[in-house]
Amino acid sequence: MLGKGGKRKFDEHEDGLEGKVVSPTDGPSKVSYTLQRQTIFNISLMKLYNHRPLTEPSLQKTVLINNMLRRIQEELKQEGSLRPMFVAASQPADPLSDNFREAQPAFSHLASPPLLPADLVSTMPLESCLTPASLLEDDTFCTSPAVQHDGPTKPPPPALQPVKDSFSSALDEIEELCPAPTSAEAVAAESAAGDSKAQPSESNIHKPEGLPESRTAESKLMDPLPGNFEITASTGFLTDLTLDDILFADIDTSMYDFDPCTSATGAASKMAPVSADELLKTLAPYSSQPVTPNQPFKMDLTELDHIMEVLVGS
Amino acid sequence: FLGAGGGNDIQWCFSQVKGAVDDDVAEADIISTVEFNHSGELLATGDKGGRVVIFQQEQENKTQSHSRGEYNVYSTFQSHEPEFDYLKSLEIEEKINKIRWLPQKNAAQFLLSTNDKTIKLWKISERDKRPEGYNLKEEDGRYRDPTTVTTLRVPVFRPMDLMVEASPRRIFANAHTYHINSISINSDYETYLSADDLRINLWHLEITDRSFSILLPLFYIVDIKPANMEELTEVITAAEFHPNSCSTFVYSSSKGTIRLCDMRASALCDRHSKLFEEPEDPSNRSFFSEIISSISDVKFSHSGRYMMTRDYLSVKIWDLNMENRPVETYQVHEYLRSKLCSLYENDCIFDKFECCWNGSDRQVEFLSLIVMTGSYNNFFRMFDRNTKRDITLEASRENNKPRTVLKPRKVCASGKRKKDEISVDSLDFNKKILHTAWHPKENIIAVATTNNLYIFQDKMN
Repeated sequence: MLGKGGKRKFDEHEDGLEGKVVSPTDGPSKVSYTLQRQTIFNISLMKLYNHRPLTEPSLQKTVLINNMLRRIQEELKQEGSLRPMFVAASQPADPLSDNFREAQPAFSHLASPPLLPADLVSTMPLESCLTPASLLEDDTFCTSPAVQHDGPTKPPPPALQPVKDSFSSALDEIEELCPAPTSAEAVAAESAAGDSKAQPSESNIHKPEGLPESRTAESKLMDPLPGNFEITASTGFLTDLTLDDILFADIDTSMYDFDPCTSATGAASKMAPVSADELLKTLAPYSSQPVTPNQPFKMDLTELDHIMEVLVGS
Repeated sequence: FLGAGGGNDIQWCFSQVKGAVDDDVAEADIISTVEFNHSGELLATGDKGGRVVIFQQEQENKTQSHSRGEYNVYSTFQSHEPEFDYLKSLEIEEKINKIRWLPQKNAAQFLLSTNDKTIKLWKISERDKRPEGYNLKEEDGRYRDPTTVTTLRVPVFRPMDLMVEASPRRIFANAHTYHINSISINSDYETYLSADDLRINLWHLEITDRSFSILLPLFYIVDIKPANMEELTEVITAAEFHPNSCSTFVYSSSKGTIRLCDMRASALCDRHSKLFEEPEDPSNRSFFSEIISSISDVKFSHSGRYMMTRDYLSVKIWDLNMENRPVETYQVHEYLRSKLCSLYENDCIFDKFECCWNGSDRQVEFLSLIVMTGSYNNFFRMFDRNTKRDITLEASRENNKPRTVLKPRKVCASGKRKKDEISVDSLDFNKKILHTAWHPKENIIAVATTNNLYIFQDKMN
């Protein structure tokens, strides 16, 4: 949330927020510009993916929205500052994994050094990016709510947060249990979700409520985009960009190597999704050992059990 | 007079309103097109339910010189039905996108009506006599026993109550992969064009009284479909034949350009003769610049020397001899420029407003001097090219008194709202006037709100 002066600031710059381009180089105006761009981006995505017409959607409308998305994407590319990655031990997206979209040369520069949370303060303070869209305008159309965020150091859970279905609440629980990186979620999610992962995302994205809507989309944009956002994907006129790609982009698909012989940076190596049983097996010998800082996560066997139950049983 | 000078601005008065009074609008009743025929005697509307309703003007009553004839329902018929595209698993809407009248050649009237995919030629004919006195048939149609016939007589026509019949004479189908947005009849009255998002087809009308047939187009005259659909960034939004030159037509695009093509140059007009485009005003640049530049309607002036285009916020008049910018620009609702983000969010920014010229006055033929177009809150606007004055009027049942001049409206963009002004935030964006039509010869206008048709006339002295 912006500080108390936030609303006033936007009032002053009202003209600059709508209609007029605000140069990305001036101080507070830059924030407004970026924010507006982000909001429009979210709205555009929603329009393309929430629409369930019985009749064929208007080609003109689709083309115009698509052009809007492309333009924003171009700008982002040019600025060279796609949303910083939140995943602390971020991995280069595995070209072989299903979630990776091809034709990624533009994003390869993001792949190599994993960004730590400290790096997140790149070109703009995060808090300022989270001002709700309603502050963009002085009218009643835009009803996006204030976005709650704990700050850049805590990576947000994958974009399922606003929807309280079983999957996301399970993830919340996991998060509570594992204060460290998202890899734990990734592991659990990957192992448990399996085929059903498409479903929560489907039900998630198609919830039409106006309120969480922009939040969902917003956190989508906040999540690392590389590879998953290639709107001009070769697989057809936007229609093939599956929701999975957007929502699950940030879940680390490479698994931690439980083999004690590998170093902590074994995170760099890919692992196949493991089943709960396998997890239990590998963890068993370590249960009595003190957890070293290099351990990717601390987990109790019983807690793991609990998680699995929640994920599978729900 | 049409306000062409002498300070005689038109004073518009309410004349009639057609349609349900309910605030609860039935989807099928939403009016989707309005069109006068060439004489102005008939006024056709199409709706979302695929119906066409034609109103006919009463003959002027000499004793009632204070008003022109009223319009009453003449014919109603179901033009299009919903269809299902099995290949795409999608419905094809029956909504009538456009109606265009053919000039009258004989007693019958012909019009073209189109939905997203199929164009139909309808014949509307009157029957006010019927034959009576058959030898072998009773009056009710039963056959008589021939053995009871003792004398022969010649059947005669006797008057009957007027019956107006509409029958489809041609169906022009399967020629559009995308949604038809325009139809335009050539000045030769033998051919017409139909335009969808990516293609324009040319058809032969071939009006004969032969039985009904299904035809294929002559050929594409424009095709902007890219080899790879992902490269598609621009679509056709409207097209119209030149009023005098039968080989010339224009089409507008979603990027705010208009292309003028000459069919004599080549059968497939992939290269335009002229490209009309106004360079972007850098001070008005925004994320929405492209969307609001998308042209929703294009209309030639009566003489064919000018054309008018409607984009989201303005109406532009172009001289066909000047491609690099319009000669005149009129702001329809500039106060919406600061609301574009909301209007994008609620889809209003994609509303397709039409525009029309005044009719050609009896005394001043072919002068296109006044422009009319719709806006929100059931407001519509008129711009006088001569005086540069403009007026905002409202189509509402509250202005119901015939012969009472409509009160001009004003929208207050910002700052202190004066009495009788409406602030932008109070505008009802669900009440949009997209379709308006001007009688070809008189100062009578038809304005369609969501589900009502208003007819206004100028106050005759």
